[in-house]
Amino acid sequence: MDFSALIPNLTLGFTVALSFQNLIYCFIGCLLGTLIGVLPGIGPVATIAMLLPITFNLPPTPALIMLAGIYYGASYGGSTTAILVNLPGESSSVVTMLDGYQMGRQGRAGPALAIAAIGSFFAGTVGTFLIALFGPPLAELAFAFGAAEYFSMMVLGLISAVVLASGSLIKAIGMILVGLLGGIVGTDVNSGIARYSFGISELSDGIGFVSVAMGMFGFGEIISNLGLSSETRVTDVSKVHKMMPTKDDIRMSVGPIIRGTAIGTVFGILPGAHTVIAAFSSYTLEKKLARDPTRFGKGAIEGVAGPESANNAAAQTCFIPLLTLGIPTGAVMALMVGAMTIQGIAPGPQVMTQKPDLFWGMIASMWLGNGMLVILNLPLIGMWVQFLKIPYRVLFPGILLFICIGAFSINNASFDVYVAALFGFFGYYSSKWGCEAAPLILGFVLGPLMEENLRRAMLISRGDPSVFFTRPISLGMLLVAFALLLMVVVPQFSKKREILGAAEGD
Amino acid sequence: MAFHDRDRKDFNAGVMYVAIGAFFAGFATNYPMGSAVRMGPAYFPTMLGALLVMLGLILVFRSFFVHDAELPSKTHWRPLGFILGAVVIFAFLIDRAGLIASSVVMMLMGSMGGWQFRWKEQAVTTVVMTSACVGIFYYALGLPFRLFPWS
Repeated sequence: MDFSALIPNLTLGFTVALSFQNLIYCFIGCLLGTLIGVLPGIGPVATIAMLLPITFNLPPTPALIMLAGIYYGASYGGSTTAILVNLPGESSSVVTMLDGYQMGRQGRAGPALAIAAIGSFFAGTVGTFLIALFGPPLAELAFAFGAAEYFSMMVLGLISAVVLASGSLIKAIGMILVGLLGGIVGTDVNSGIARYSFGISELSDGIGFVSVAMGMFGFGEIISNLGLSSETRVTDVSKVHKMMPTKDDIRMSVGPIIRGTAIGTVFGILPGAHTVIAAFSSYTLEKKLARDPTRFGKGAIEGVAGPESANNAAAQTCFIPLLTLGIPTGAVMALMVGAMTIQGIAPGPQVMTQKPDLFWGMIASMWLGNGMLVILNLPLIGMWVQFLKIPYRVLFPGILLFICIGAFSINNASFDVYVAALFGFFGYYSSKWGCEAAPLILGFVLGPLMEENLRRAMLISRGDPSVFFTRPISLGMLLVAFALLLMVVVPQFSKKREILGAAEGD
Repeated sequence: MAFHDRDRKDFNAGVMYVAIGAFFAGFATNYPMGSAVRMGPAYFPTMLGALLVMLGLILVFRSFFVHDAELPSKTHWRPLGFILGAVVIFAFLIDRAGLIASSVVMMLMGSMGGWQFRWKEQAVTTVVMTSACVGIFYYALGLPFRLFPWS
């Protein structure tokens, strides 16, 4: 590997990220992301979908910098909610809730929040550095990929996304297939035939998956939240007395933060429900390593420090497959693909070579964004607490309006709003039947890409499907995918998945 | 094997998959299939559709052997109807009556999907949110909206 370019690359990145305009957008992104993210019941996907239209009129670099900021802000906001009110804003905060809320009960919400922030910042720093380090060689590798490798990689990505996720494997694969099918609606690039468009001109351009995500995650979640038998009232917000963790707190958190970062980094690169798995694995590890495991669940600071770092490291490194290979590994990254496409950028290895200022600027701003979150969150915690007290019945119509305007402004067409409504309906029912939305979104993005690469691979091999098994990289990826599927069948592992699913409990 | 004693979640999901898969694969017959070397527009959807039908059938079949499964939660018609209704009305109005009118109607109708509807509170929220959205999206971000039906 050639690291000599690292310093000039990072210098370029910081020159871009430190420009006044980009700093402001990074700051606004973090602020807005946290603001929406602290609201209980609104996860990062819904937050990004909601705030996406704000970036439409910006140039590509600030737009992506701002979106990345929104993403971190939303993740961080979720932890704040978990610690203060025992309501997870997103699934990965479930783990933080276990001990974080107990710390809050004991009047130690301040140190819990501070450790979460410090851990996240450390993890974010390591994650950013890893992206800078491994991004270029991976992109180099991606240039050597042919159609067969791309196809196999997408198969691997989709399979690992469902294997690592909780819930029924068959249903998740089914949702991927539904997504792939939905993704290919529209004009076929090879033949020019408008598939499944039924004479509707908007459909011949395809179904925009941003409006699909808005419908399934935004509307679907609002309807489900309102369907809960009574209002989940946020009356019991833990008080924040003092922020600073004690020396003991810091001493006990160092190990968990480092281990959590390592775990999160690995899980982030793997496709799937990375942040949740990373946080859970870190929690389990810390509990095993602890001298007195009974403290866990009763306000052990290691139980906040580890998972929060893991969560944030994973949130960071999951940008690696997106930025180097152009393959999204989860619903959030799928939305980032959508944002890039709207900005006229095709995600993939060529971004780094053709738009180095955008690529490195984004990476540098990731680190800056993580830093801003620490600065933002510690003094502003009082404001978030006030925000948490707004009842949901006041909030949800506003969220609804935001999503509607967002869906409309993708193409300035009411058609996308109708699509979002339709998928809201679909998402509401499919989640009732245990079919999750995230695999569908992933399928939606990958559908056209998969078809294209399958066609090209088969054309080059003259219709011989063995091309996927004779090329070593492609074979390797298919073998890993197969091994992952086998793991689910092995009882030990599937038991773990169940526990995970039960703990995620929604 | 009693029909009433089955895993309804799996059963419903399976039926949904069969329906969607059959629709896509069936409709693909209108397009040229091509060959494995030169795949026509029907090739990929037919493959995926068939696979989806298969998965759906497995789910349906399996659902009969699972007893005492958790029932899917009940449909909450009130939020479902009002929320999606408000969204559809927004989409309908925005082309015709502009951003302000459609936002106001959507906020009011959408909030009826909640547990309680308090006129005063919702009136205030509606005014605040509508002005905020007009301020943010129209003035600050300069997105091309019509504000009024006549503009």
